[in-house]
Amino acid sequence: MAAFIVRMGPVLMLWLAVCVSGSWAVDRGNFKTCDQSTFCKRQRALKPGQSPYRALLETLELTNTKLTLQLINDNNKVRLLLELYRLQGNMTRVKINELKPLKPRFEVPDVLINDPPTEPLSLLSQDENGMVLSLGADSQRLIVSAKPFRLDIMEGREVLLSLNSRGLLAFEHLRIRKDTLADPEGAEKKEETDAASEQTEGEEATKEDEKVEDGMWEETFKSHTDSKPNGPTSISLDFSLPGVEHVYGIPEHADTLKLKTTDGGEPYRLYNLDVFQYELFNPMALYGAIPVMLSHSPQRTMGLFWLNAAETWVDISSNTAGKTVFGQMLDYVQGSSETPQTDVRWISESGIIDVFIMLGPTPTDVFAQYASLTGTQAFPPLAALAYHQCRWNYNDQEDVAAVDQGFDQHDIPYDFIWLDIEHADGKRYFTWDPHKFPQPKEMLQGLEDKRRKMVAIVDPHIKVDNSYKIHSEIRSRGFYIKNKDGGDYEGWCWPGNSGYPDFTNPEMRAWWASMFAYDQYEGSRENLYTWNDMNEPSVFNGPEVTMHKDAVHGNWEHRDLHNIYGLYVQMATAEGLIQRSGGVERPFVLTRAFFAGSQRYGAVWTGDNAAEWDHLKITIPMCLSLGLVGVSFCGADVGGFFKSPSPELLVRWYQTGAYQPFFRAHAHLDTPRREPWLFGPENTALIREAVRQRYALLPYWYQLFYHAHRTGQPVMRALWVEYPQDTATFSMDDQFLLGRDLLVHPVTEEGARGVTAYLPGNGEVWFDVHTFQKHNGGQNLYIPVTMSSIPVFQRGGSIIPRKVRVRRSSSCMEHDPYTLYVALSPKRFAQGELYIDDGHTFSYEKQKEFIYRRLAFANNTLSSRNLAPGSQFTTLSWIEKIVILGASKPSKVTLKMPDGKESQLEFDFDASMSVLTLRKPGVNAGVDWTVVLQ
Amino acid sequence: MHCPILIAVVIWSSCVDSQKIRGISLSYKRFYRERKSFLCIDGSKLIPFDQVNDDYCDCADGSDEPGTAACPDGRFYCTNLGYRPHYIPSSRVNDAICDCCDASDEYNSHTACQNTCRNLGQRERAEVKSQMRALDQGLRLKQQLIEEGVLTWRDKQAQLRDLQRVLDDLQTQLDDLRKEDARRKKEVDALRELEIGALETEENSHRSHIMNESPVSIFYELDSNRDGRLSAKEVRAKLTDIQDGERVLSEDEAVIRGRVPGRLVKGEPVLKAAVSAAEKAAAELKKVEDAYETVYMEIRDLREKLATDYGPEREFLFLYNQCFQLKVHEYFYELCPFNQVTQTSASGAEVSLGKWGSWAGSPQHRYSQMKYENGEPCWQGPTRNTVVTLTCGTETALRSVKEPGKCQYVAEFQTPVACRPALRQQGVHSEL
Repeated sequence: MAAFIVRMGPVLMLWLAVCVSGSWAVDRGNFKTCDQSTFCKRQRALKPGQSPYRALLETLELTNTKLTLQLINDNNKVRLLLELYRLQGNMTRVKINELKPLKPRFEVPDVLINDPPTEPLSLLSQDENGMVLSLGADSQRLIVSAKPFRLDIMEGREVLLSLNSRGLLAFEHLRIRKDTLADPEGAEKKEETDAASEQTEGEEATKEDEKVEDGMWEETFKSHTDSKPNGPTSISLDFSLPGVEHVYGIPEHADTLKLKTTDGGEPYRLYNLDVFQYELFNPMALYGAIPVMLSHSPQRTMGLFWLNAAETWVDISSNTAGKTVFGQMLDYVQGSSETPQTDVRWISESGIIDVFIMLGPTPTDVFAQYASLTGTQAFPPLAALAYHQCRWNYNDQEDVAAVDQGFDQHDIPYDFIWLDIEHADGKRYFTWDPHKFPQPKEMLQGLEDKRRKMVAIVDPHIKVDNSYKIHSEIRSRGFYIKNKDGGDYEGWCWPGNSGYPDFTNPEMRAWWASMFAYDQYEGSRENLYTWNDMNEPSVFNGPEVTMHKDAVHGNWEHRDLHNIYGLYVQMATAEGLIQRSGGVERPFVLTRAFFAGSQRYGAVWTGDNAAEWDHLKITIPMCLSLGLVGVSFCGADVGGFFKSPSPELLVRWYQTGAYQPFFRAHAHLDTPRREPWLFGPENTALIREAVRQRYALLPYWYQLFYHAHRTGQPVMRALWVEYPQDTATFSMDDQFLLGRDLLVHPVTEEGARGVTAYLPGNGEVWFDVHTFQKHNGGQNLYIPVTMSSIPVFQRGGSIIPRKVRVRRSSSCMEHDPYTLYVALSPKRFAQGELYIDDGHTFSYEKQKEFIYRRLAFANNTLSSRNLAPGSQFTTLSWIEKIVILGASKPSKVTLKMPDGKESQLEFDFDASMSVLTLRKPGVNAGVDWTVVLQ
Repeated sequence: MHCPILIAVVIWSSCVDSQKIRGISLSYKRFYRERKSFLCIDGSKLIPFDQVNDDYCDCADGSDEPGTAACPDGRFYCTNLGYRPHYIPSSRVNDAICDCCDASDEYNSHTACQNTCRNLGQRERAEVKSQMRALDQGLRLKQQLIEEGVLTWRDKQAQLRDLQRVLDDLQTQLDDLRKEDARRKKEVDALRELEIGALETEENSHRSHIMNESPVSIFYELDSNRDGRLSAKEVRAKLTDIQDGERVLSEDEAVIRGRVPGRLVKGEPVLKAAVSAAEKAAAELKKVEDAYETVYMEIRDLREKLATDYGPEREFLFLYNQCFQLKVHEYFYELCPFNQVTQTSASGAEVSLGKWGSWAGSPQHRYSQMKYENGEPCWQGPTRNTVVTLTCGTETALRSVKEPGKCQYVAEFQTPVACRPALRQQGVHSEL
């Protein structure tokens, strides 16, 4: 600590001044409310009503791929251009920009994985009030109303979604500064615009004098002034969702899964921020932003993807939210009610309106639609799904060796040990502290000898120090973000005065990636991976602890692209890890900041949480929300980052984290050590057991991620995703599904004696994975719990592979045999999958080296069948045991091989639990086989 | 000394070879006699003998798979000929990591493990030998230190007794002196009273005398520096002869009394003698009181020191009043046993890492750790503390200081007095 104080003294004090309010929770005063963000205030002041926008139907152009149409604002005569695309896969894209902006407005690049393929639109009818278009699918229609402008998407007679139905379309066009403070250059520009406006002169162009309001051309928050050289540029649009009462998504917020209405409160804010000691259950912005919202009703699931990387606020209102249950009931009984409806309004500070309407109709469809736009979850190396041990900081090589040894002594598996900022030489990333880590390669070799790995942090703030190679190269290549005056932007972060590389520049990203080469990153080895923290970016002395919006990235202001900066950092880092292996190895990179598309580059975690029970609870909705919008590889710091957990909280957090996708323990520098064996033998045993359950289940996790990678379906799922008709599940966020087949209701209450889990599915059954006890679906089940309980249930009808020989790291388990857990449905049916590859390279993709099999149980016969005939991979793993839950006792069990060979299998039947265990089928996991019960 | 054991191991291992039950120790051999069936050691299940070590876990206690990784909580016996045999968890069998030095755990993982037992054994034996030598020497040194400690202890006890005696003497003296002092004071008071009575009768004549002298001449007499003002200093200077020896004139008094000529209280010789005797008695008393205080403090310190727990044989006594230093990178650490631990940075700033708290070893080895608590508080955190672990060695020195958790320091302190004969047993054991 002394060293920390000495080195960090100046930064700490600054950080303190910026962040610490004295009390424990977040200092809200450091972050803007909508009222303090002038564009949000201006936009929100606009109330629903008659829209000033009118569609100029005569400007309609319809080509094979798109429809274009001009809109005019009757108040100021500024014209907008609407582009509408029907996209393959039941999606509609609506783009609105100024017809003739003074200069180009920012359109977010690098998020869409390709130019989305279109489908033809056809005009069905048109009159002076509007027109009707066919949206590909037979019954879907798009209705364009001219005055006021409005779009409705209908299916049959039902309106699925309306745009601008509340008249909140508002587009602040680029303009010349007219107030007294206008800069002298304004005069020159004026001529250009005169020319531009002449084109619209044909109309009775008496432009309404634009009001100049405070904050349009400059605004100040706390001591920070935003120079706003482009003036007001914000945009807004409303969407109405008839029949919808539940909306989800738009992470990252520390809030419930189901989004709340924001009437009378703050809107949900999307603006990547390093929030010190964040508060729970509020719409404040956090580290990441994914502007995607899902709506759901028993009839339909849809999605809205608002592709804009500027500061964004989302208002949600509902016509049923204010009603009491009695009121709703009355409506229902009287049958007189208006249909429930949710209205949503998006406001962004700059850029254009570019919105993708994903029409579902099922949750699976929406996931696939979104994945077709922004890609799927990166398929992580298998080891990354295992357990990670982190702390700020493991002090030195000896400490790393001792912790590694501790895991072996206490027989607890782990795969990755992590090094936080103190490992580097004076926070100069890509270097090592010469005293604490004098021999990083030897240290990494030591871990490799145990088949384990390491992650070292590499943050995007670069110490301004001419003797530091990374800095001097970035500076000399001109890769730093610039301040408004053209110099390199500098701000305070961990190393003190720092520069911020412009990751939006592809050349910068290529250079950054090259820095991960083994001959560039000294002390690195194949088993060293990377963690990108502080990439919001965090600037201790910047406005709201981030970068000034008038900082400059090439042609664009930071304002235009703030929310995507973190994505680019992770993208460049992941690319570096791929390149260093010549494109052979899959990367693993953890990020704190993220945006739509970040799922393609690795894992995210929920940032600096705290050792409190509510923080444990919030991990579920936070990761579920991320899963709904593409990011499956999500986790929270096990144990809580700030403060110190009680042993009970720590154990419960391990038990919960063991069943969440990214499983990493982490702790703040100020907290006492908390390696799993420091809380007495009982707690050590409880933690060991939780971690072992994780390792045994790794084959299932791995195939869930393979599935997520291929299809975009989330790994950790909200219950309503699989039970979309069951309204009881719509707001549920204290339990979750892994894939379709495991239901987890972790214990997250202090001193809990029992939990009530909801087992969905009328007529279905669920099996307790620990006791094999069968329970009926469609009920709330009270489960008494002890400290060792982790309530997990396997769905009847599923087959889950496990590797029950838990070893000290996942790599050690590579060739181990599988045990299949076959949970029979009431109709004595079950199916599952088995996916196997080398666990760490791209060979599964490039050389099709993998095994992908369907396991199915029907008619008393269990068989393994190849799902990917074009693939080839050989495994040493075999089938060690088959456990059939809900079985009856057979008289004999026969294993049949494709070559006709048959053999009898020994079995054991537990009549009390109806569990049939087949002993040692012994077949290779990659071949066809059949087991017949007679 | 190791010969019989080595021979036993050789014989035993040749027996096992013929039986081919992998992963069991000699003492477990009896459970694995080749028969038709095998009874799980916990008696829970009877299985065909060919299911022993067939890479499938049948017994709940894992006893049917001593040589494979099939059972979750099983264990594998590394024979480690030439080194120490030991158990490893079954999960480390065939995991492509060499755990047994005889490579017996990696018989099917295609990992080329070297048999390193001989080297390890040699190295360990050499190490144990040197450790034993160090231990022997340490124990000898410890004995000396204990003996020294006994002497020191006796010295201190004697010193304490002496001091106590001195204190008692001083106490007696004090009693006498206090009486004497009181008597003297009383005497002076009595004489004074007499004097005052006498003076009062004279007062009128004196007063008229004063009145007769011109104020101007008195003024001039007092205004020694001729600046036309009377300062307290001037008055005091003139009146030194009328100070009563116990009091010094205050500023006010000097000014007021300044009006009165000095010869007014020019004392009688009897009073003067009495005053001087009283002064002497008071001075004497003060001296003895001071001496008493000093001795008393000394006794208190010594008692406190002797009350500290220096171990069952007071072997740690010699550490008192000593300090040990160590430099780690830019920091300079100092351990003063039974007192405090400090850290000094390159810039010279000294931080307390804790003051002596207590012995903190496990109940069996209470004296293997010391705890220093309530050092300087940390930012947003608790106060600094240090746990010092004592290890056996021939020298007494601070070996390492680390900070595994923020403001939680651990130090290793080597000293012969941490050597225990029991360590010899452990050494011999590990020599096997």
